[in-house]
Amino acid sequence: MPRRRVFNPLTELLAAALLVVLVLVVNTWQFSLAVLVAAVVPGVLFSGKPRQIALAIAVTAGPLLVSSFLLHGLFFPEGTTVLAEWGPARVTAEGLQFAALTGLRLAVFTGVLLTAALTVSIPELVSTLTHRGWNRRLVFVVGSAVGLLPHVAERSRQITRAQQARGLVVGGSVPSRVRGLLMVSVPLVTGLLIDAAERTQLLEARGFSSPGPRTSYLPDTDTAGQRTARWLMAAGVLGFACAWYAVGAGR
Amino acid sequence: MSSPLTLPATKAARPRTALVAVGAALIAATYLYLVLVQPAEIAEGIGGTSSLITLFGFLGGGALLVAGILPSLSTSSLVLMPLGIALNIAIGQTAGSLGLQIYLDAIGTVLVAVLAGPAAGAATGALSNAIWGLFNPLALPFAAGAALIGLLAGTAARYGMFRRVYLAPVAGLVVGAFGGLVAAPVAAFMFGAAGTVGTNALVAAFRAVGDSLLVAATKQGLTSDTIDKLVVFTLVALLAYALPRRSRAQFPFLRRYRVLAGRTGSAIGR
Repeated sequence: MPRRRVFNPLTELLAAALLVVLVLVVNTWQFSLAVLVAAVVPGVLFSGKPRQIALAIAVTAGPLLVSSFLLHGLFFPEGTTVLAEWGPARVTAEGLQFAALTGLRLAVFTGVLLTAALTVSIPELVSTLTHRGWNRRLVFVVGSAVGLLPHVAERSRQITRAQQARGLVVGGSVPSRVRGLLMVSVPLVTGLLIDAAERTQLLEARGFSSPGPRTSYLPDTDTAGQRTARWLMAAGVLGFACAWYAVGAGR
Repeated sequence: MSSPLTLPATKAARPRTALVAVGAALIAATYLYLVLVQPAEIAEGIGGTSSLITLFGFLGGGALLVAGILPSLSTSSLVLMPLGIALNIAIGQTAGSLGLQIYLDAIGTVLVAVLAGPAAGAATGALSNAIWGLFNPLALPFAAGAALIGLLAGTAARYGMFRRVYLAPVAGLVVGAFGGLVAAPVAAFMFGAAGTVGTNALVAAFRAVGDSLLVAATKQGLTSDTIDKLVVFTLVALLAYALPRRSRAQFPFLRRYRVLAGRTGSAIGR
């Protein structure tokens, strides 16, 4: 079931970004853990697609967490409290602590941003950016890149299948892999470039490079209240960061 | 070929040099600060402030660069950018999930840089990581490094490093060394140098010898990035030469600086 959208995408993305900044400013494992439990977990659960988001977070942050613990748990030359030792590898208390701190920070970083990004509707974000008067070249590049992504994946799948039907064998020795990569990427890139050339002419014919105001076909979902809230949130985090560092310096 | 049908051809606006200069200065200052001031701090294991500085310096610098470059690009370069971004993300995501020691996430950036020039390449690199950040937040802080790769790749193409296929890997090696140097503090201060399984083995090896985290990450970056860019530049050179002439002819950058050897569509473009 899709989640009923409450806030504008811009507001949600900004809130996520500011939360990450807060975590970095405070930088204690207790606060990171609290944000993880109090913000990320409920956010994922109520997102409307908890399994998809949880999977994305696990796939993105999981390997990094494991490798972080392996790396700093086993190899931390600065560590002094040695817990175990095998040859060049030494498990140190400091290394494990470092791994836990960076690991939690990483988990919050990916969790917060991915939850916000995966629930955002890109068309709504693009239309908001248009309504707010952002650079339309930027809006075009962002919207078009996101729209192209599934197209590129689908097309490379089709080309791979077509080449396999002609006798391409995926895998094997390195030269054969490189040849396989070229057999797929040359038609892919050529096709995309020809599409791009056509799109250039279509855009020019519709006055893409002309100055003047633009009309978005999607209604503006942004409100004055949210605009104020965004400024207030940003100012609040900035103020908090200044106060935090001032107190930290005073101590 | 791409003359507007509704309006008289307007000259592309000049790049906003001030914005570009401030962006580049911010990135350079962030890098110098991280390398010169912070190595003492990371030994204690805490790097919240340096993470924050990394994030703001590199992301803000990248944003300023993009803001300065975008108004100056022609429509054909602009249409090419989403293509490069989509290629970067699609291929980079695959390489990352295969656990390779290299990333392959700059093929699109280098392709755009070769076809449309250094400015378009830099903007593609920065925006590519910003958009990839929507699916994989870990790519976000590397935006400045990606912009540098695009800029250097375009410059290499402008001065003829793609005119011979055997020169492209050499250019890739040099660009990769710069890219690795810039990416290392990001990896060290944001993520504790943890990366994919492949890159991690390298960091672990350098750490086992007793290097500090930044030094180990820099050595890993120098190793992975040079090999990665060598492969990427070679692939892009092969790709560019395999393109049909009709596709090449739409890029004035290719013609003006004779980026690729041979006739490069000059007969059609004139």
